[in-house]
Amino acid sequence: METNLVVESIKFMMLGMGTVFAFLGIMIFFMDVMSKIVHKFFPEIQPDVNAALRNTQNENNQKKVVAAITAAIKYHREGQK
Amino acid sequence: MKAFIIKIVTLLMLLGFSSVCASDAQAGNAAADRAAANVETYQPKPMMELMGDFLKSTGISALVNPNPDELDSHGNKMSDFHKSWGRVIMILITFLLFYLAIAKGFEPLLLLPIGFGGLLANIPVANMAGPDGFLGIIYSMGLANQLFPILIFMGVGAMTDFGPLLSNPKTALLGGAAQFGIFGTLVGAVALAEYTPLFDFTLKQASAISIIGGADGPTSIFIATQLAPELLGAIAVASYSYMAMVPIIQPPIMRALTTDAERRIKMSTMRHVSRIEKLVFPILVLVLAILVLPDATPLIGAFMFGNFLKESGVVDRLSDTMQNALINIVTIFLGLAVGSKLASEQFLIAETLAILALGILAFSAGTAAGVIMAKIMNMFPGSKVNPLIGSAGVSAVPMAARVSNKVGMEYDRYNMLLMHAMGPNVAGVIGSAVAAGVMISIFK
Repeated sequence: METNLVVESIKFMMLGMGTVFAFLGIMIFFMDVMSKIVHKFFPEIQPDVNAALRNTQNENNQKKVVAAITAAIKYHREGQK
Repeated sequence: MKAFIIKIVTLLMLLGFSSVCASDAQAGNAAADRAAANVETYQPKPMMELMGDFLKSTGISALVNPNPDELDSHGNKMSDFHKSWGRVIMILITFLLFYLAIAKGFEPLLLLPIGFGGLLANIPVANMAGPDGFLGIIYSMGLANQLFPILIFMGVGAMTDFGPLLSNPKTALLGGAAQFGIFGTLVGAVALAEYTPLFDFTLKQASAISIIGGADGPTSIFIATQLAPELLGAIAVASYSYMAMVPIIQPPIMRALTTDAERRIKMSTMRHVSRIEKLVFPILVLVLAILVLPDATPLIGAFMFGNFLKESGVVDRLSDTMQNALINIVTIFLGLAVGSKLASEQFLIAETLAILALGILAFSAGTAAGVIMAKIMNMFPGSKVNPLIGSAGVSAVPMAARVSNKVGMEYDRYNMLLMHAMGPNVAGVIGSAVAAGVMISIFK
């Protein structure tokens, strides 16, 4: 009997697509499990958002101080002319 | 003091002795040379004969009057066409590759080395692609044994960020669906070979060609060297040129298969992915590959090795080398070695046209399957997926994801799909490595 290569290739296709989807499916499942485990047992210490905010506020305050001093110096110099 | 003088004297004596020995040896060599010269007596040649011999050794003469005894790099006889006009045509084709790479920006990193390798491989007389030529040496050094594609995979792994995939794991299915491009084309190629008298591909050759649909250059080369080394040149050139043409090939297919409303779907913002997740992921995938498909582990193993080093965060030097120096060096060698397979007797055959045609078919089928898969996923409850990211399931990283983003922004300027599309994109790399593993396991 002559082998029909097209039928063979369709078999390959079913095997191949099946394997790819099975692999990715299992991968998705374990990714979910893994992220649950990681979040439960190793919760990442989130960078303190408030601290960052405070820092920027501090920076803003400092900028305001610098601006005020600059303005004062300018005013002072202009006043001496 | 005395001991010191004695030491110096001994040293001088030793030096003198050794130099005497050396001069003796040199004298011996010179004598042997003279003897050889005596055997090979030089006949004075008249100027005309000297000129005539030289003219026979020129490239013009070799192209016009091909040497009838010349053999190709596999030691087979070549037809006169492949020795004369074939070479000229191939050199012109390499010029076309240069044009595409430089003026059109088509994957210049690979097309330029491949093109230049092809140019060198088609030079008559010099026989650079032969087993003793430097291209042939590079080929047998790293391509015949599949070393270069694996090293490239390491570098690609070190450049890949799995964060987008980890934050939305189900988009991995899109990367799986796009592998339909590979297997659909396999059926198509075999059917063509079976029912039309045009080409005659064996199952192995058809599989090697269809892997172009994975849109993954190193994987294509990896499979081609294993299953059909005689088609390597055409497969590699087709694979890399179509990867470069992703922005031209994909958008029409994406538009044809989606409705306007679907193209405007906004996807939910991504969650934060912790460092430990990113660190565990490569090991997880590798363990799965070990259990399910060990034949895919050379590719997946190298890929995950690169990624693991990057995510570990403690070996920045190594990961930096993989991402830059190593991958650059290997790219040069890989390009030249692939170029050596552009010799006219291997490229100017009817099969090349079929490979180019089947390649673009494979690419389009992969794109379409990804988009359709996204539409199928939208039929199920859960967060909606914009079908435009389905096309990114073909693994041309990051080009395919950029195309998804660009097409998406054409319809909604504020709809950023890039990061969402990176998920299927990197899953596509894993998917095509798995598909390659299946092919290898079938033909083992």
